[in-house]
Amino acid sequence: MDGIGTALFAVLALGLVGGGLAVVLVNRITAAALFMAFTFLCNAGMFLLLGAEVIAMFQVIIYVGAITVLIIFGVMLTPQGDRRYGLFFQKQTPVAAIVLAAVAIPVVVFAFSFRDPTGAPHLAPGDLKALTTSIFVDYAVPFEIASILLLAAMVGAIVLVKRESDDAAGGER
Amino acid sequence: MVNLVWAIPALPLAAFFVNGLFGRRWLKQATGPIAAGAVGASALMATAVFLEVLGGRAQTTVVLYQWIGVGDFRIDIAALVDPLSAVMLLVVTVVSFLVHVYSIGYMSHDHGFHRFFTWLPLFVFAMLILVLADNYLLMFVGWEGVGVCSYLLIGYWFERHEPSVAAKKAFVMNRIGDWGFTIGMVTTFLVFGSMNFVDVFHRVGMASQAVLTVICLAFFLGACGKSAQLPLSSWLPDAMEGPTPVSALIHAATMVTAGVYLVARSTPLFEAAGPALPIVAAVGALTAIFAATIALVQNDIKRVMAYSTVSQLGYMFLALGVGAPVAAMFHLATHAFFKALLFLGSGSVIHGMQNEQDMRKMGGLRRKMPVTYWTMLVAGGALAAMPPLAGFWSKDEIVGAAFLHGDTLLWGVGVFTGALTAFYVTRAMVLTFHGEPRDQHLYDHAHESPAVMTLPLIVLAVGSVLAGFVGFPPEAGFIHGFIGPVVQLHGAAHHPEYTVIAALAAVSVAAGLIGIGIGLAMYRGRRPDPAAVARLTRPVYRLLVNKYFIDELYDRRFVAFFTGFGGVMSAFDVHIIDGFVNRLGWVVSAAGGGLRRAQTGVVGNYALSVVVGLLALMALYGGYAVGVLR
Amino acid sequence: MTIPLAAFIAVSALLFFVGAAGVLVRRNAVVILMCVELMLNAANLALVAFSRRLGLIDERGSVFVVFVFVVAAAEVAVGLAIVLAMYRNRPTVDLDEVQQMRG
Repeated sequence: MDGIGTALFAVLALGLVGGGLAVVLVNRITAAALFMAFTFLCNAGMFLLLGAEVIAMFQVIIYVGAITVLIIFGVMLTPQGDRRYGLFFQKQTPVAAIVLAAVAIPVVVFAFSFRDPTGAPHLAPGDLKALTTSIFVDYAVPFEIASILLLAAMVGAIVLVKRESDDAAGGER
Repeated sequence: MVNLVWAIPALPLAAFFVNGLFGRRWLKQATGPIAAGAVGASALMATAVFLEVLGGRAQTTVVLYQWIGVGDFRIDIAALVDPLSAVMLLVVTVVSFLVHVYSIGYMSHDHGFHRFFTWLPLFVFAMLILVLADNYLLMFVGWEGVGVCSYLLIGYWFERHEPSVAAKKAFVMNRIGDWGFTIGMVTTFLVFGSMNFVDVFHRVGMASQAVLTVICLAFFLGACGKSAQLPLSSWLPDAMEGPTPVSALIHAATMVTAGVYLVARSTPLFEAAGPALPIVAAVGALTAIFAATIALVQNDIKRVMAYSTVSQLGYMFLALGVGAPVAAMFHLATHAFFKALLFLGSGSVIHGMQNEQDMRKMGGLRRKMPVTYWTMLVAGGALAAMPPLAGFWSKDEIVGAAFLHGDTLLWGVGVFTGALTAFYVTRAMVLTFHGEPRDQHLYDHAHESPAVMTLPLIVLAVGSVLAGFVGFPPEAGFIHGFIGPVVQLHGAAHHPEYTVIAALAAVSVAAGLIGIGIGLAMYRGRRPDPAAVARLTRPVYRLLVNKYFIDELYDRRFVAFFTGFGGVMSAFDVHIIDGFVNRLGWVVSAAGGGLRRAQTGVVGNYALSVVVGLLALMALYGGYAVGVLR
Repeated sequence: MTIPLAAFIAVSALLFFVGAAGVLVRRNAVVILMCVELMLNAANLALVAFSRRLGLIDERGSVFVVFVFVVAAAEVAVGLAIVLAMYRNRPTVDLDEVQQMRG
């Protein structure tokens, strides 16, 4: 059984990192958006492997469902002409590459050499009960505040995109 | 009343505030009577204080408020009431009151009327502080205050150039004297541990004679500045640019006498400092004759009186220097009366002659202005020291004291200057009031002044007659017994026989009569003709008319130097101090400009800078973890 | 053999830096937003991995992940609104062309 798990993990990992690379490197934006959705799905699979079913469910609903749609909205509403590959990268790319490499290499090396301190892993049957208890009992207030945050974001987004009505069609003023 | 002595300066101060705050818009012409009323009330209170001291009240200190109390350094705002200050109080307030009343008439056409009556009571306040102070520091407050008011009042018509310049000159020369005062004051504190008169005079023995001489000469420098003695005398004639009542009050009767008061008050210090007193006497005598010679050839009636004031102040310092401080105070009091009268009378003449001050354009005015004439005649006689007028008693005592002190040279100078004094005052009177009018147009319009101006003249004339009798009989009069114990030098109580005194008096009177006689002959009878005399003595005449070229000398040597020095300082200020600040600003601006280049406006750069920061943090953390950093 | 925790962490790190590279390198604003989502996903993965594997009693890591979901959603919404506003101003979403805030 574990062999399947390991194989699954390998596939999902490849999909994750590959999808990410695709998002960064692909020319067409629509393709990039779809690769992003693919990455989200692989991430959901990872969550399942870890036994966090609820989180996986949330991941699919929110990321694959809502955020991907939002991104595609954004892509569609901002059409740009076709760009050649050369104009693809920002001017700061060389410098950015060096700096990022300097940051990334130590971290990734450390991540790869990470040793699990506790030995035997503890796997709860599922995370639903514990998660819901935490959200609705222990962290109820932050939960409410999060909903206010969403409200604020919604209002903010509407305000930001509002058109300045200069024309007479703007109605009563 | 002595315990309420602080009410005396308080009233003029109140008048200053009231007139200052409300005079321009609401009170206007009422400012005059308000100020005069306040000073008049002060005069009444001063009289009460005087009578109380007269009645035997001992030296009293009335403390108003503890001003400074730091460790050993303790200064109170306190008044020292004793015969000396009581006399000064009386003289200052009475003469100030008369001048205030006079000014209501004299300044009635001036558009700055309220401003005049704001500064004038302020001056009275400052002078009263000076007189009442029981310590040098408080006295200095009053000292400076009268200097400021003098500046404000000399430059009263500041829209014109000459008054502004004269005011500045007066203030700057005063300041030089103030420097001396400050040195004296500080040294006094360092040596005696106090600035309080009573304390210091008790501790005179604590200091060596050299130190005492330094202190006394420093104070005397201050007195020279304030009382216009050489070498700081030339501001006073220029101060005649101010209104005549100002000249009468400040530059004849009160402020300029502050120097005399200072030295008189500090008698215990001066007498213990050996060489100081002879220097005082010498300077006084020299100034007296110097100013008198210049007065001989002045054509402006106020200038004659100004130089006369300088000369008479010289007499007072001469008296102080030969060990006769009572005589100095006596002359101070009588001079206040008749010199104020001479100035106010001159003002009356100027007023009647439509602001003409040049005596060469006057003449024959006694028919048109009788009250002015007769009162000025009395004052002129007092100035010439004719018995039985006030000036005779006081001046004669001074020259007599010089003789009896053994300073025959000084006595001779005093007598000769007396002759000169008599001459120039006769000249002034004759040119103004006698003979034929030289400017018919002005003469036709000339008129006597209104009662508000002539009444003070009459009062002062009465004073000029009677004030002398406080010093009669000589050396044993009322004033000697009154002030004497306060200032009298130890071991100087000599009572010479009356024959000696009478002989000396006769010499003085003779000199005066000679002066009058020559004056009358030259200016009434034209024998010899003044113009001819001037031609004959051309070099001397030129020297006198140009005031010995002292102003030019000062201008070339001192003023030019300080102007240049000021230029250097100004350049320093502009280039180095301002330059430093400017360059500092430039540095900040340049730094900002440099740092601004981090704001590229490209969002990607900002994201990169976040990563760079992360890199730095990682390096820092790594350094701690590895052990490179602590 | 169960998958070691380090594996998950390694994958998470790789994905994170891929996303970071995308943010720093790509010109298109919408693509940058996408890459930010990648980074957030990587963080979520790491959080859940630690939460489930380190033998803790409760699920605090997972709760945090829920909040990260919320914040990510809000952030995408507002970010897209900004991009749209920018696009409306001058029809470009190229970040190298938008330099009006310079200096």
